[in-house]
Amino acid sequence: MRRPAGAEAAVRYGGWPLLVALALAAGQGLDDYALTVAGTILVYAILGLGINIVVGYAGLLDLGFAAFFAIGAYTSGLLMLKLGWGFWPTLPASIAAAAVAGAVIGYPTLRLRSDYLAIVTLGFGEIIRITVVNLEVTGGPNGLTGIPPVSVGGRQIVLPQDFFYLALAFFVAVLAATALLARSRLAYAWRAIRADDTAAEAVGVPARRVKLLAYVLGAMVGAVAGPLNAAQLGTVDPSSFTFLTSLMILLVVIIGGMGSRPGVMIGAVVIVALPEVLRTVQEYRGLFFALLLILIVILRPQGVWPYRPRRLRLPDAAGPAPEPPSAPGTLLEVEGLSRRFGGVTAVDGLSLRADAGQVVSVIGPNGAGKTTAFNCITGMIPPSAGTVVLAGRSVRGLSPHRVAAAGLARTFQSIRLFDGMTVAENVLIGRFARDRGLLRPLSRADLDAVRRCLDFVGLLDAADRPAGGLPYGDRRRLEIARALAAEPRVLLLDEPAAGANPTEKQALMALIARISALGAAVVLIEHDVALVMSISDRVTVLEYGRTIAEGPPAEVQDDPRVIAAYLGVPDDPETDLVTEVLR
Amino acid sequence: MTLLRVSGLHSRYGSVEALSGVSFEVGEGEIVALLGSNGAGKTTALRTVTGLHRARSGRVEFAGRDITRLGAHRVVAAGLGHVPEGRRVFPALNVAENLLLGGYLRRRDRAAVAARREEVYTMFPRLGERRGQLAGLLSGGEQQMLAIGRALMLRPRLLALDEPTMGLAPRTAQQVLGVVREIRDQGTTILIVEQNAHQTLRLADRAYVLETGRIVLEGPAAELARDDRVKAAYLGGDPVIEGT
Amino acid sequence: MTEFVQYLVNGLTIGAFLSLIALGYSMIYGVVRLINFAHGDVFMIGAFAGFGTLTALGATGGMALPAIVAAVLVGALTTGAVGTGIAKAAYVPLLSSPRLALLISAIGVSLALEEGVKVLTHARFKSYPNALDGGRIFSGAVHVTWGQLALVVLSVVLMAALWLFVTRTMTGTAMRALAMDRDAARLQGINVERLILVTFFIGSLLAGAAGVMYGLYYVQISFGMGFLIGLRAFTAAVLGGIGNLPGTMVAGVAIGLVQSFSAGYVSSRWTDVIIFGLLIAVLALRPTGLFGERVVERA
Repeated sequence: MRRPAGAEAAVRYGGWPLLVALALAAGQGLDDYALTVAGTILVYAILGLGINIVVGYAGLLDLGFAAFFAIGAYTSGLLMLKLGWGFWPTLPASIAAAAVAGAVIGYPTLRLRSDYLAIVTLGFGEIIRITVVNLEVTGGPNGLTGIPPVSVGGRQIVLPQDFFYLALAFFVAVLAATALLARSRLAYAWRAIRADDTAAEAVGVPARRVKLLAYVLGAMVGAVAGPLNAAQLGTVDPSSFTFLTSLMILLVVIIGGMGSRPGVMIGAVVIVALPEVLRTVQEYRGLFFALLLILIVILRPQGVWPYRPRRLRLPDAAGPAPEPPSAPGTLLEVEGLSRRFGGVTAVDGLSLRADAGQVVSVIGPNGAGKTTAFNCITGMIPPSAGTVVLAGRSVRGLSPHRVAAAGLARTFQSIRLFDGMTVAENVLIGRFARDRGLLRPLSRADLDAVRRCLDFVGLLDAADRPAGGLPYGDRRRLEIARALAAEPRVLLLDEPAAGANPTEKQALMALIARISALGAAVVLIEHDVALVMSISDRVTVLEYGRTIAEGPPAEVQDDPRVIAAYLGVPDDPETDLVTEVLR
Repeated sequence: MTLLRVSGLHSRYGSVEALSGVSFEVGEGEIVALLGSNGAGKTTALRTVTGLHRARSGRVEFAGRDITRLGAHRVVAAGLGHVPEGRRVFPALNVAENLLLGGYLRRRDRAAVAARREEVYTMFPRLGERRGQLAGLLSGGEQQMLAIGRALMLRPRLLALDEPTMGLAPRTAQQVLGVVREIRDQGTTILIVEQNAHQTLRLADRAYVLETGRIVLEGPAAELARDDRVKAAYLGGDPVIEGT
Repeated sequence: MTEFVQYLVNGLTIGAFLSLIALGYSMIYGVVRLINFAHGDVFMIGAFAGFGTLTALGATGGMALPAIVAAVLVGALTTGAVGTGIAKAAYVPLLSSPRLALLISAIGVSLALEEGVKVLTHARFKSYPNALDGGRIFSGAVHVTWGQLALVVLSVVLMAALWLFVTRTMTGTAMRALAMDRDAARLQGINVERLILVTFFIGSLLAGAAGVMYGLYYVQISFGMGFLIGLRAFTAAVLGGIGNLPGTMVAGVAIGLVQSFSAGYVSSRWTDVIIFGLLIAVLALRPTGLFGERVVERA
């Protein structure tokens, strides 16, 4: 059933050494023309690996990636021509310049929706291109000429064959770096924000930082291609950094398959070699590419070599469970929480207290402000007034991932999982609230926690299934497992019983009891009064944003205002309802 | 007389089979309920019947006519109205415009549409009071009334309602179900999908219970309400009964 | 001061047709959530269709009003047809695919139109016959020509007609409903695919009219003209708050003014740097545009 790890790795990674060996052999056999083309393929493959980080992993469409290519090329070229630097020291300088540019374009646009982002990146690409064409120092429309060749150990790289080997070395280095990146925690965070950035942020992924890192790291990888290309041609020509170039780079990942490194290689071959093949019909080249693009999107939208998720290798037995959070007493204390939207007060002076090991519920008719209150507590929207104290520390006004890191985990009324990821990977994302490390591989503690949480909710057998394919009840449980991976002190559940049948409700009640037994405080929003009354220690009833009752279930249940507002008179469906609703 | 006959309906979402051979009938003037827990396929069944979702196989017959392959807009034209799950009023249009669109298919006859709209206002006076207000600013119950009123604009022969009480407080939910009965009493056949089995079984004439894409039980509503299997599976935790 | 007034007049003229193009982006985004990348190229095709009409009619010199009207009509109808055809062939089949696929398809269509016209015109510039009246309304330091006035009036008329259509007619109301909720629109009996095509038709119609106006005003046209103008118009649509038609109209004029003033006071070489810089700055501060969006995202 399970392939031994070694064999799987061999299948998975065996292709690359083979390919490199093949390339080395080809370097001996091909003629100069073919080697020049092959060198260009490698340049585009490097660009493709760069944009793959931004578009493929993080899902941020970039239509101006040629800007980073240009920044790399111009930085290197200018340093060599104006300051007399050698090639090698310009390389880190180029990468650094691109990193800065990546941050400059990334930072102000982080809050934008994906399609606006595409236009902003396009605009940025145009700004860079127009700027280098207009400035004198960059040589205007003529660009930079007379860039000296690279020398490696005293040997000048001028022959196509030498350049091919140089490019191959660059490519292998970049490939190795991106392969490491793909195994880091950051790569999982990228995939999570691509699937649902709001949910990712809410469970503890610092979404803005993670997006920014995608821009910066993608720009750095892409920038490597700049100096390499400048060295190959001896010139930097501004007309090679147009929107069309950006499109070609994007095509590399779209043809290959987004997020897939082998796909990038295939895409680069197609993008560079095809025009060479079509050289005789030069005039129709652009048209041909355009039609190819449309055809690929319609016929094979996932690319030629689609990305396949790697199975998380969970430990056979989880390590020892962490000490239950040793802070008894009040874990969550909300005081006077209000939120106004325009003239409407959605939440009006809510107070809520939850102690360790307690289950506290908030009920109320629809529109009473329950979910708004949750969103204020978890930092998704700022409250207009009031305090939120979590285990003795104020978290009011913090961003959601910081609130999560402070020990507050939540689920969503409308279940928000990362559908493209596996069940185990979903739980893993919950770990970011505990451990925010990004640029390092998954730790043993991560994998232990995933296993333990899956076991806790009974989903261990489904660990490698895509979350999108789970049945409804399992999706609810998975969301709870993801929240538990954060080892929260307070767990907020937003209508966890919605859509569950009585059997599932029973199981859910048992699960909630087990969670509170771990020492966490559970806060519940629910419609199902029977469920709430049977498992809660305290109940708060809201109506029109105000608290109309608060206390143990038995008291609240008998409160006449509660009955009037929420429960209704139990058995008079035959009254003249039509007029009653409408008045 | 049978108004709607569904036989052997199969349908998929991606690779998941959502309906595996569902058959049911709705007679003229009846209230028929489709019950079941979430994910049982109730909504898919309704969406497939009204053409929002494509059937892979099976047959849907309405008033003697095969409508299996018709697009949703043509199913509506055939006289089958659908009030979708979650109400789905047009939030940035006002109440009057929402109702106007309900009469879209009769747009050539503006006077008739306007007259029908007045009738809907008479039925739902609250909508009349708020005709100039944006639908997105109405309360949940009012939005549900608007969604129902909108579907009534064309005087459908059969009105399909998908969880009309979803997200409503129990009292409002009861009122909405009362409205549904009223509509039937005025001559419109009703097919209702609900999770709230207890109240729905009091309302319906007959019911079908769906489980993982198949009909597992069917019969007169009163009988089903006494059926131990139904009690065990669907009626256990009814809030109104147990909660007070 | 006279310089300032002159730039103002020029900017308003440019803004008039930028608004027309921007409206198409905005409407189409509303109903299919797609940045119709090919919209700028549709505009370009309108310019060529108008050019063909004027040369076929042999219009020269003076205010050849009937010829101009014919050119605008032919240009607009041609692009209406082209835009609808594109939507049918390359967008409607992808309506249920991820949004990214739709956007990439649009990029492909844009490139195909551009390259197609490039091949057909042998990559040459064409010059519009001088059909527009160069006669001045005001003489003196500030030029305002009858031609400019005609363009502004025409564009205002088109925008007013669009506004009436969208707010007063059943089809326009249905279009707004479709922008809010596609399935719910279907359940009202609206033929969604056809209404999407109608939206493309109208949006492309406006772009085609703008294309002819551009040719009349700037004289020189080429296969690549749609790219930058399209981007500027798109910038206007975003600044105006996409889906928000009055906002889009105002923002179109604003971008026209920016273009005119930056060309006058800085240098036309930097115009686009300024416009895109503005776009990035505005979006960084107000992610939904200056006037807010009217696109409703369902939770």
